[in-house]
Amino acid sequence: MDYEQSPDRHVGTARVGSEDGRPKKAPVPVKIIVAGGFGVGKTTTVGAISEISPLTTEAEMTSASMGIDDPGEASLKTTTTIAMDFGVQTIDQTLKLYIFGTPGQSRFAFMWDDLIKGALGALVVVDTARIDDCYPAVDYFERAGLPFVVGVNTFNGQMNYSLDEVRWALAIREDVPVLAYDARFRGSVRDALLVVLDQALDKAIRQKST
Amino acid sequence: MTYPDPDDPASPARPSVRPFLQPSSSGGYRPAHRVEETVTDQSVSLRPFVITSGRTDGADPGIGMETQVTLNPMAAPVRLSPEMRAIVGMCSEPVSVAEISARLHLHLGVARILVGDLRAAGQLDVHVLDNDTPDPETIMRVIRGLRAIT
Repeated sequence: MDYEQSPDRHVGTARVGSEDGRPKKAPVPVKIIVAGGFGVGKTTTVGAISEISPLTTEAEMTSASMGIDDPGEASLKTTTTIAMDFGVQTIDQTLKLYIFGTPGQSRFAFMWDDLIKGALGALVVVDTARIDDCYPAVDYFERAGLPFVVGVNTFNGQMNYSLDEVRWALAIREDVPVLAYDARFRGSVRDALLVVLDQALDKAIRQKST
Repeated sequence: MTYPDPDDPASPARPSVRPFLQPSSSGGYRPAHRVEETVTDQSVSLRPFVITSGRTDGADPGIGMETQVTLNPMAAPVRLSPEMRAIVGMCSEPVSVAEISARLHLHLGVARILVGDLRAAGQLDVHVLDNDTPDPETIMRVIRGLRAIT
């Protein structure tokens, strides 16, 4: 454990955020989820848009409801450690965008409840070589009513299937956008996230008017 | 934190009952000098919730990964554990719980519990949002902000 960032000093005398002696106002955090199977480019996506190099947090979670695949073990408590990558993009002094990359397997679904609370929307990253990796995430976001967009990561510009074929395979609603993007490029990731935000905006306006 | 956990079976600090029966042993009593060599690994092998005195839940559900944390300007000087001091040391600028967890190599659950404890102790302000449903105005600002980046 490194404590370099904690100079040995008394807490009470610690200086407060800004020069004028008043505490700095904390920015409002908003978040977008990037979900998908292993190796589909979640971390690359997060890294492309983040202003800091992506950080990894380990979450150790105990769950009593993980026996979805194996009902016989449903009553056992299981502890899983998962790693989540995340990045930050400062929008302005009072608004920060967090981008969380999360594993897309259904056995991690128990922690998505926590993660999507307050989330603007999600980008489901798809590798056309392994489309079914993203099914659990699509299922989950559909059921949770979280606005989401399916982003086909075009490694080196290659895609095994057309976007229409991906849409057909996923059987998603007409209004869920399916787009191709390249996780390595900031502009491409930004545009994909802007589509997610469009969906989020639609939903927020719908909710406000009802 | 820097001490080996005597209950951890993986800990090399656990004294062997009969060290001279080990194949590498040259026989007889040896001082436990190996403890010194391995002690730096403890933060990796130490079970994370030892730091929270074994509590694994009880964290405020309002404290999310992105929740912002700042120093409480009114905080009185108190003695804190090294982990808590490290957290407080990060919070002179607003920082998220996820960043605290990642930068201090604390499990997220541990970070959430310690942040909650530090708020209860009056050391930190935790800015839990009253309304976590995103409103259109905020989303518009994010869209404008993202469009502006190149």
